[in-house]
Amino acid sequence: MMPIWTKSGKKHAVTLLKVQDCHVLRYISKEESGGKTSKLLVGGKNASPFFKSESAMEIFKEAGVPRKQKVTTFNVTDDAIIKPGTPLYAAHFRPGQFVDVTAKTIGKGFQGVMKRWGFKGQPASHGQTKTHRRPGAISTNKAAKVYRGKKMPGKMGNIYRTSFGLKVWRINTKHDIIYVNGSVPGHTNCLVKVKDSKLPTYKDCNKNPPFPTYFADGDEKLPEDLYDEEIFQFTDPSVTYA
Amino acid sequence: RVSSDGKPEKFQPPPKPVIIDKQKQREERRFLSPEFIPPRGRTDPLKFYIERKDMIQRRKVFNIPEFYVGHVLAVTTADPYANEKASRFVGICIQRGGKGLGATFVLRNVIEDQGVEMCYELYNPRIQAIEVLKLEKRLDDNLMYLRDALPEYSTFDVNMKPMSRLDHEEVPVNKLQVRMKPKPWSKRWERPKYNIKGIKFDLPEKKMKEAQKWSQPWLEFDMLREYDTSKIEDKIWKEVSEGLKN
Repeated sequence: MMPIWTKSGKKHAVTLLKVQDCHVLRYISKEESGGKTSKLLVGGKNASPFFKSESAMEIFKEAGVPRKQKVTTFNVTDDAIIKPGTPLYAAHFRPGQFVDVTAKTIGKGFQGVMKRWGFKGQPASHGQTKTHRRPGAISTNKAAKVYRGKKMPGKMGNIYRTSFGLKVWRINTKHDIIYVNGSVPGHTNCLVKVKDSKLPTYKDCNKNPPFPTYFADGDEKLPEDLYDEEIFQFTDPSVTYA
Repeated sequence: RVSSDGKPEKFQPPPKPVIIDKQKQREERRFLSPEFIPPRGRTDPLKFYIERKDMIQRRKVFNIPEFYVGHVLAVTTADPYANEKASRFVGICIQRGGKGLGATFVLRNVIEDQGVEMCYELYNPRIQAIEVLKLEKRLDDNLMYLRDALPEYSTFDVNMKPMSRLDHEEVPVNKLQVRMKPKPWSKRWERPKYNIKGIKFDLPEKKMKEAQKWSQPWLEFDMLREYDTSKIEDKIWKEVSEGLKN
């Protein structure tokens, strides 16, 4: 995470996400998957091919791509289908876009009710016998049962969570890095899924995205760094209020 | 040569010339700002490389002078609510923290009998100028104890003129021993954890001995805490100097 300053002098914290060897693996049509839209399987970081069975490696062999550590599905409209085997780059996203980031949160192990659910616990003194971090009552008398989903101690973290509506401030095309506003679930160097935002406020914010994706061998030659309009770039002189 | 007696004197070889190679001395003294050195951790070195590129870019446009804890600095910041849209603060640098673009330094001064500390970010674009008014290192890396010292040690004239800079010479170390206000202090500075050499402790011997109870002499032998930065510093120094030359 890094600080970033706008032209008006405000500071924002930014997370860096690297697009490492992403390839499209397979196209699944609407009828095949049984959903409302067709799907594209996308694979992430390269990994060793020796620790998986032959059947698992079939997808990668078909696409002609080394084995990927993580495979995810994206729901795609029919006009945005990409041929399996095309690499995906950070330039697929542009500064000014809004994005949802999904990842597995940091695993905290088996945790008590105070850390996991934010319960208040009991006082430290004034006669409390062996009860300082316990949940207390778990149900009422009339219910005569404990409801399903009652907040109790258990394994915390290591589940998929999403941060919605994060602004993309900057894109580095040379190293394939996306600068995303705010914090993102997961530990450092963990694998993360980045999608266009589903929030209704950001429905019309994408002006001219590269559609269906940014192709490296295409006609467009992008500069090494793409900045949002409001970012203070370090090549400019210091900010003044005239 | 003939001596005053007229007899030939014993041959005395001329004194060997002492060559002070000023060029070599200049190169030996090189200062790498502490925020360039990455902390120990599992972060990808690519992230530090990208951050350093941004830092070098900022340094090309705006000059951040070499300074240590103990220097007296004057910082002018752009302020939308000030009269001339710029505010100037003079103070002694008591702490330099943070790594990378978020590096900060804290300046302290006593203005009209009120101690004031300002924390500035080195790479904040609102900073218009940083001037070094007085060059001197102190015995410690962290001068937070000035909060509990007598106010005369933290007062600096706001209209101080910059001291004449001795170019390419070593930064002088001020071995000043600061006198403190009576206890209680904000932190127990006499404890060996803080390792402060710049205070004149007027405490009785008994208290000083009691403070030594909290010493942890095994810490200096703990190998897992060692972080040898010499090779990393060399690489980063080369990168930074090449970046600044362009």
